Formats: sequence, structure tokens, C-alpha cells
Amino acid sequence: MMIRRLIPHVLHGIIALAMTGRAMASAPDPLIDKGRYLAEAADCSACHTHNPSAPYAGGNPFVLPIGTLYAPNITPDKSHGIGEYTEADFTNALRRGVGRNGKPLYPAMPFPSYARMSDADIHALWIYFHDGVAPSSEAPPKNGIPWPLSMRWPMTVWRWAFAPTPKMAIANAARDFPAADIARGAYLVEGPGHCGACHTPRALTMQEKALSSDQSAQYLAGGAAVDGWTPVNLRQDDRTGLGRWSENDIVDFLATGRNLHGSAFGGMSDAIVHGTQHLTAADLHAIAHYLRTSLPARKNETPWEANPAVTNALHQGHLPDAGAKVYVDRCAACHRTDGHGYAPAFPPLAGNPTLMDKDPSSLILIVLRGASVPATAKAPSSLTMPGFGHILNDQEIADVVTFIRHSWGNTGSAVSANDVSAFRRHNARWINDTPSNPFN
Amino acid sequence: MTSKRTDVVIIGAGWAGAILAKEMREAGRRVIMLERGPERKTAVEGTYPGSIDELRGAIRHRLFQNPAKTTVTIRNTVNQTALPYRQLAAFLPGEGVGGAGLHWSGVHFRAAPDDLRLRSHVIERYGAKFIPDTMNLQDYGVTYEELEPFFDKAEKVFGTSGDAYKVNGEIVGNGNIYAPSRSDHFPLPAMQDVYTASLFRRAAGDAGYHPYALPAANASRQYTNTYGLQMGPCNFCGYCSGYDCYMYSKASPNINILPALRNDADFTLITDAHVLRVNLDSDRRKATGVTYLDQKENREETIEADLVILAAFQFHNVHLMLLSGIGTPYDPVSNTGVVGRNFVYQTITTSRAWLSEKQYTNQFVGAGGAGVAIDDFNSDNFDHGPLGFIGGSPVWVNQAGVKPIAAAMTGGGKSAPRWGAGYKAGLVDTYRHSMAMDAHGSNMAYRDVYLDLDPTWKDSYGQPLLRMTFTWKENDIRMNQYVVGKIEPIMKALGARRYELGRLEHGEAFDTRKYQTTHLGGGAVMGTSPKDSALNRYLQSWDVSNVFVIGSNAFPQGMGYNPTGTVAALAYWAAHHIRAHYLAQPGPLVSL
Amino acid sequence: MSAPSSSRRRFVRNAAGTTAFFLLGGQEFPIPALAAAPAPAAPPEFFSAEEFRFLQAACDCIYPDDSFGPGASALGVPSFIDRQMQTPYGRGELWYMSGPFQNGPANLGYQLPLAPQALYRQGIESANHYARTERGKDFASLPPEIRTELLTAFEGGAVHFAAFNARLFFEQLRRNTLEGVFADPIHGGNLHMQGWMLLGFPGARADFMDWVNQEGQAYPFEPVSIDPQKA
Repeated sequence: MMIRRLIPHVLHGIIALAMTGRAMASAPDPLIDKGRYLAEAADCSACHTHNPSAPYAGGNPFVLPIGTLYAPNITPDKSHGIGEYTEADFTNALRRGVGRNGKPLYPAMPFPSYARMSDADIHALWIYFHDGVAPSSEAPPKNGIPWPLSMRWPMTVWRWAFAPTPKMAIANAARDFPAADIARGAYLVEGPGHCGACHTPRALTMQEKALSSDQSAQYLAGGAAVDGWTPVNLRQDDRTGLGRWSENDIVDFLATGRNLHGSAFGGMSDAIVHGTQHLTAADLHAIAHYLRTSLPARKNETPWEANPAVTNALHQGHLPDAGAKVYVDRCAACHRTDGHGYAPAFPPLAGNPTLMDKDPSSLILIVLRGASVPATAKAPSSLTMPGFGHILNDQEIADVVTFIRHSWGNTGSAVSANDVSAFRRHNARWINDTPSNPFN
Repeated sequence: MTSKRTDVVIIGAGWAGAILAKEMREAGRRVIMLERGPERKTAVEGTYPGSIDELRGAIRHRLFQNPAKTTVTIRNTVNQTALPYRQLAAFLPGEGVGGAGLHWSGVHFRAAPDDLRLRSHVIERYGAKFIPDTMNLQDYGVTYEELEPFFDKAEKVFGTSGDAYKVNGEIVGNGNIYAPSRSDHFPLPAMQDVYTASLFRRAAGDAGYHPYALPAANASRQYTNTYGLQMGPCNFCGYCSGYDCYMYSKASPNINILPALRNDADFTLITDAHVLRVNLDSDRRKATGVTYLDQKENREETIEADLVILAAFQFHNVHLMLLSGIGTPYDPVSNTGVVGRNFVYQTITTSRAWLSEKQYTNQFVGAGGAGVAIDDFNSDNFDHGPLGFIGGSPVWVNQAGVKPIAAAMTGGGKSAPRWGAGYKAGLVDTYRHSMAMDAHGSNMAYRDVYLDLDPTWKDSYGQPLLRMTFTWKENDIRMNQYVVGKIEPIMKALGARRYELGRLEHGEAFDTRKYQTTHLGGGAVMGTSPKDSALNRYLQSWDVSNVFVIGSNAFPQGMGYNPTGTVAALAYWAAHHIRAHYLAQPGPLVSL
Repeated sequence: MSAPSSSRRRFVRNAAGTTAFFLLGGQEFPIPALAAAPAPAAPPEFFSAEEFRFLQAACDCIYPDDSFGPGASALGVPSFIDRQMQTPYGRGELWYMSGPFQNGPANLGYQLPLAPQALYRQGIESANHYARTERGKDFASLPPEIRTELLTAFEGGAVHFAAFNARLFFEQLRRNTLEGVFADPIHGGNLHMQGWMLLGFPGARADFMDWVNQEGQAYPFEPVSIDPQKA
């Protein structure tokens, strides 16, 4: 029995015994299981579970320049959760971003994506959140956004302008696909998975530039840095996208947080732990198959090709530049002089698309802060890279980041000490947000 | 004092404890594991490059037991007053999650078949008179064939690298010709030879011996083990012994087992929990649980359990048995009683060759488990008849990464100045151009070498310290001298500029000030009779059947090989029999 | 069990931080000042000036300035020992220090009720007393060859200080001196890694995958400290 899966079930069992007047003690409702699966696919707990012993009781803070938002309690508790919601209220919140009493939700809630979900799936989610989740009376703190930004009317304007109507969304979801599994993959990615929320660039007015693969080659073409991390391009670009990942590579990554091309970090770790690792193999293959049907976002990107020049120099004890010295002193132990790492234990840097991104944020942040590969049921080892922010100065980090972006056939802009210094200033919160307690 | 209940309580979070915990969870039993030291995670304190610090690590003993709280007293003979072992030196017990399994080197052997039934074997080959009167030579009560599946299981959990010689009776490779047949290959190919090991391989071959790659629980490639847990590949950084492996490439409970338990709601690991005693019922036939001191809260706690597993370090298991009254304490005068009996060690001496000044031996390159060995003089691989001693030593180059402070303490060898003028010249020459090899030998059990409770000194919890009565005996000194003599042809074949042979001298007393090895054994040994063993062949207490005692405390003799591989196999062997028989029908697994 | 963290922060912050809608720039956060450059040799904190003078003189006898390179003082070893005195080790918290204290054969190990701090305090005082008695001056005021002679006598075991055999003090001093020469410079000795350079030890790089067997060639790179900024 996979342990991570077991815990919610055990909790569920305890809750079932504790609850009175509900039908939970009777035979398990397959709709509840379906709803639970969808809640995992939709990664609801990433925002709505802060305290692991009170699932979905909300409270996760979203620290924004405008103030702090807290995810609400979505357990069936009548006073603190959504116990007073009707199924129609629930559906409206998911699909339209409208809370009970017509109050608009902050677009932290990815309702533009959830709008695509089928009636049957929304119903299953409703049954799960109504009957399968324990009510919790935990009340998240009040949102700390000062007036006038606390006014929610601008949200309504935004929603009218950009969010698709559920009708449009469902119609789009029903478009033609070359194969049934690709259709399923598209549904999961564009709908409950809401991958585009991070991986699709946003317009100045906040909305994702595309909500589905048929709308634009910008869909999943990589988002701007969030929490200091840059969501990578998921399209088929050879250097900066997933062009060299096979279907199985994608499946392995979503199931275990690691594969031969790289390891998950930043927000993707949460998405895997709470979400994708729980999906069936068939659904993961569907997602992978669907992603593999995309076209590159960038024209004329030359394929990545290994270049052994740096490797040969280092083997011979030559350090071509200051970055090479930092690399040999601090990085090569795990990532090797040839940049190949020891995937899936230690990810390769040679040819790694996240490192060739136009935006070097992820690379700078991971050097400063380190990262732990998320422990998943199938791969419980949370191998950890230490942070070097306290050992390396801005110049050394700039040198080594530039070295990594220029070696073994990699291409990417150079990074200066000033860039690192500015990054440190703007991202101190994420730099100091050290990895949570890893397993080993 | 508060009280909790569980199915199985395990004392110690090292290899033995982690293996039993995993097995008991697979059997569906709720497990509480008590570790007296702190939590230890690679990502926290083992992190690169902060952990690559010789002063904090091997010198100030970051991962070792702090004797300030509890230690042992030591004397050489029964007539002496034993004195406290105040500064760690001769042996270094671990403390904290992972135990000695976190700071070990990683040499991962299977016990030699003859060593497991040494008494029977010696009698069959040389006759009963060959055994000295004062030697308590005994069998383990379990054979290599019985343990083989568990050796195999442990290697696949540890990610062990090595060359097999015989698999299912067929010669398959370049391994140790004296090694018994295996049911499968090592999970990973042998570690690469460092320069000095490659020199030793050639020279030992030229001398007519049979070199082979040491089996190492240092991963020669990255590896995913039986439990889905990952290891990185060893990069020969040289920080194995005394350190936590930042590369995740040296097997440890922390990397190879515990991550599979840490998210399990029915597994609880309590750190900083110093177990004071195993609680027994009134007639001392059944354990009811354990009492420990929560060192964070300075509060005594009791856990009630159906099954109690002692999986602390060798002598701590014996200490707990003595403190708790499990089994009869050993009496060296009458040679009766079993707890404390057959306390054993190993005889380890180091020899050194100085090569040409053009040969840089780069001794800082290394891996704790890797190297090249010969077994021509180990176990009973050679005729002891004319020699008149029992036991043997493998000889090897096990270049585990020589760090500068350790090198500086040794300096330039026996004849070089220890400081001042001439010191640096000897040190530099030795560090840059020499190589070391060890005779890593057995140590037999004797009537007057044993463990009991000290009458005078107490630990910081108010309990009597364990007392060790130990010194070198003529049988083992002669064995060591014989084997070291066989190193000389290797030195000659190496073309050494000069060499020094390290050996035990006649009459030499055990010196607690010099590091020798942490491979302590015996004191609560397994066997076939409750008259001369504390545990039956399943490591179950003969006296208190719901107590199992797992560790090298079960070894009736000190073997030439490193103990961890055999400890792990015995742990899986005991766990198998607990699962297959004991849990369904608790009680003695061997009836008398 | 790992607490779920708020992955959703990622796009929310992104969205809100970059939107024209809220018209607010990214917030700046203070960061801790970078570690300062190493300070020049600090005065001793545990040892008195007089004791420190002894230490400098004695360490330089044990590890002298010669054709191989600088001696212990130039590598910062006395400061290293001073810092070590202010650690759990120096306070004897890593030793079993419970009584009764009883002498026994040397091979049964250290049996004094003295932590390293007290060993140094009493040892230096006794050594200076011995130097004055035998040679008319404090240890540090004697010429180097006489100091070496005295240390040789201490090492030999024939000299008895007030509370213990001088050999015990000598061994403590030798041990800590060599630790200071060869420990990572973050601990205050081994200045500019000159101890490591002497040996060809690569320091805290700790990766030899490409150099496992160089067939007798020397390893190519210079050493590196755990933290050059603190070294």
C-alpha cells in the first residue's frame, strides 16, 4: 500500500466513524472516490490545505505585493467552510469564479480552466467535498489586502473581459482530437490540471494568453517567474521545451518528480506531490501524449547538440574561466564535469531546457537556495541540493550560472553580478524559503 | 510518566532497527522506534560542502556517541580496576538516527561459511584438542546456506557493488575465489580500483595471492533499491568513515530504508529517547515494554509493547540486557551465565609502503568500502594445523580517503620525527607517495574476556556503566604476526622504496588511546544452547521470548570480515522468522 | 510528513505582481548582509596575552617555519586553539568527566578531571614555571633551540608538572597544533590553505570521479575551503 495514498483514506475512515447522520458508514460511494481523484488531479489541496491534519480547511497564504490572501476553507463546515453551499453555488464557484451571494473570487482560483470540466466531474467533486471531506471549523485569517485593493469589483470586470463562459469552455473542450487519449490528455491539462496557470504566459491584464492548445502557440510556452521560479516551456521546442522528452519521460516525471532529463523543483514539486503522482498510468500517458502533439513555440530554434570542449578541458585540469572554477569546486561533484549529472538521482545540466530559458531565474534561485526533489509514493527519496547563497558571492554566482548556460552545447544569455544582486533583492523571500523537511 | 501502547518497540535507529522496523511494518504491525541520539538527515547536517569538515567530523566526532553522557569502563585483566573510557579513541560508537550505519565505511561482506560454524569446523579438520582450554569457541547456530537469501536481500537494499565469483555454483567472474556460491550477482558492479588498489592488485597477484574487489555498499553507479529509494554514485570523495554521505552513495538506514517509513502513520520514530530498561513481568519471562528518558523534556516515558527488539549498538544491547535482567549475567570464574560472555573484537594492524617520488598516491581519493583484498590468509582458507592458532585476516588496500589531520597525527612513519625539524619532510613524503594496507583479522573469545556492569562509575542517567575486560591473547597475536609476515612479498612486488609492517607484539595490552576498529562483537551471542548463548539461532532471547536482540552482539567470535553485512543478514533472517512463525504464535522459536 | 505548501502562490504572485490592473511594483525584501571579509588576527579571547605568547612559541616549535613553508603561528594556529577553547570540546563537554578520578596504566587512557581549557591553563603555567626554574626565563623568551629542548623533555615523560605529567600537556599541544595547521580554514587556522597546499590535499571539493586512478599522476587542482569567505 502506498503510504501517501493511505493517509487520506485513514483520516477518511476516522472521520466516517466520527460523523453522525451522514451516509458515510454505509458502502463507499464510487462518486466520492471519483471526486477525490479529481480533487487530486485539480491539485485543490495545494491551495486549500495548509494544516495537513485539517485537509481543505484553507489558510495557505498568498503573499502578494498588494497584501496577503488566504485560501478559504472548502470543507463542508457550515460556518467556516462551504457547508451552506448548494451544488449550484459550488458549480458557479468552480466554473465562473463566483462565490455564494455573487461575490467574485480572486483569480487565484483557476476557474477559467475549471470551466472546461464536465458536468459529471463537477458533480463528483461536489459529492466529494460535500460527503467525503471532514468538516473543519478552522478559519483562515482575514485577507490582509488594504482598501481600495480589497474591493472585489475589479475582479468582476476582469471576469467579464477574459474568462470564458462555461458554455464556450465546454464547447472548446469537445473539439476534435486525433485520438481519444489525446482528448483525455487535453481535458486533464487544460481543465482540472490547469497547467497553463503557470506554464502559459500572461498578458499585461493578467489573463493567460491562451487557455487551450488550439488557441495559440503561446499555450504552455512557459510563464513568467513565480516565487522566483520560472515555469518552463512545455511545448516541443528542442532546447527550451520538452522536445527531447519521450512520452515515458513525461510520465515518469509526473509520477515520481524526476526522470533522466531533470528533477522537479519550485511549485512543480507541490503539483506532483498533491496532484499528478496520484493519477493513473493511463491518464499520465494521455497527458504526455497530448503534450507531445504540440508544436514548438519558437521558430528556428536549433536542436541542442552536446559539445565536449569544456568537459575535455576540465578533465585535463584546465579551468577556462572563473565560472569553471566555481563549477568544479561546488557543482561538479553531483552534476559532473561533463554536465550529465547522474539522472535521475542528480539532474543533468547539459541540454536541460530549464537552464536555457531566456529567464535565468530558476537557475539563479536553485544555486542560491538549493532544492529537494519531492518525495513521492513511487520515489520516496527526497534528494537535496544544498543552497550556495551563503558561500558564493554575486560575482561567483553570476560566473557559474553563465558557465552552465554556455557549456556542453547549452545556450543562454550571460548573467552579471548585478543581475544576481537584483535577484537577491527582489526574491529574498524565496531564497530564504528553505526546503521543507526532506525524508533523507 | 506517561504510557503508550504499540505492537513492536524497537530500540535503536541503525541498520538492525531500520530493517526490523521495515519488516514489521510490512507485516502490518504498529512500530515505535526509539533513538537516543538526534534526528540526522543528509539534507540538513550532511549537506555539501559543510559536512566535508574533518575537524568537526572525524576529529570532534560529530556523528559519534558523546561519552560525556554515557561510556564504558575498560581494563585488560580481571585483577585490574577498570577505568572510564573518557575520550573516544579506540572505537567509535555512533549516535543518532542511522547509528553506526550512518558513519560506517561501507565494506559489505557476507560471513565466510566456516566462520559461522567455527567450532564444528575446527573440530572436524583439526580435532577438539586444537582448541585452547581458555577459548570459548562456538558456532552461530545458523549456516551460510540458511543465511544466503538474507545476504542477497540485504545487498539489494544496500546497493552493494562487487564482483561475484560463483553464482549458483557456476564460476562467473573475477571475485574472491574463497567466497561461497551466491544466488545472484551483486546488484552493482565492483567499484573502480584507486591507484594504490590497482598497484596492490598487481603486486598481490605477482606474490601468488588471489586479489579481488572489496564488496562495497558504496554505489558504483546510481541505484534504486528494493524499496524504491535512490542512491547517487560514489565519486570517491573520501568522506565515508565518520561522515554522512552527501552524495547519497554510501548505504545508510537514513538513505536506504527510513525514507520508505517516514510517511507511514503506523511508524513512529522518537529521537532523543534514551532507553533506561526493558520492563519485564514479575517472573522475568516476558517483556511488557520499555521505559525511556525523553531527553528533550527530561521526562521518563513508558511504552507497552507485545514485542521488544533490541537493536542498539553491540555493547549497548548487552548493557540493556544486564540493566533489565534479561538472561543470566556471565561469570568468568565458573564460565557460566551468558550475558556478557564471548565479548570479542578484531585484530587490525596497518602496514605501509613508500613508493617512488614520481608516484603520487593521491590518498585523499577514496571510498570507505572499496579496495582490493586477498583472502588467502583469512578464515580457514589455509592450513592452520602446523601453525597452532585459530583465525585469520584478509589483507587489503582499503583507501578510504586519507584526510590531512589524520595524516598529520601519523606523520612520516615509525622512524620519522613526530614534530619539529624533519617532521614536515616525513609527512609530505608519506602523504604524497605512500600507501597503506591492513591485516583485518579475527579475534577469538576467551573465558576472561567479557562484559559486565561496573561497580563504581555511572552514566549521567545514574545507571552503572558497562565494564569491558579485554586484552590481546597469544592466539590472536600469533595469527596477526603470521598474516603480516605474508604481506612482505607484496611489499617486494610493489617495488616499495621502503616499508613498515604493523603488527601486534607478544604481551601487548589493548590500548584504549589508539583507534583500532569499531567492530566490537559478542556479549549476547546466538547459538544452539542456552548454556553458552544468550540468544537462540533466531536472535531471540532464550529467557524472555518476546525480546529479540539484533546486532554484532550475536557473534560468538570476531571474524576477519567487517560485521555489517552479517548483521544485516541476521536482521533479515530474524525478521523472516518473526514474520513467518512468531507473530502467529508468540513464544520460543526453539523449544528445548 | 511534509506540509503542503502553497504552490498556488506562484502564479498568483506572478499575476498580481505584473499586472497593470493593480499598478504596483514588486515588493523588495531586505536580505542579510553578505559575510564580511575575514578580520585581521584577533586578540585571543580565552588565553591571556602571556599565555598566547607561550602558545605561539610552542606551536612554532612543533610546526616550524622552514623550507617547506610557514610555521604554525603564521598559519593562525594559536588563534585556532583559542577558538577551540570556546567550543564544547574546549570545555570538556565531549569527554566523560564524572568521578571518581583515579590513575591507572597509560594504555587505559586519560583519567584527569581537567577539560582542555584547564589543561592549557595549568600546562602553560607549569611549563613557564619549569622554563624559569631550569632556564631562567619564560618559555617564550627563550631561544628556539632551547624551547625545542624543553618540549622534547616534556614529550619524553620525565618531567612532572604540578598536576600531571608534562607529556600529557605536550600531546594535547601537538594534537591541537596539527589540527590547526590542517583543519579547514573556517576554523581559524590553515591560513590561505597553506597546510593543505603542502600536502597537495584538495580540501572541500570532495569529488574525484574523473581522477579515481591517475596512474601515479598528481591531482590537478588547487584546494578549496568549505567557505572561502569565512576562511
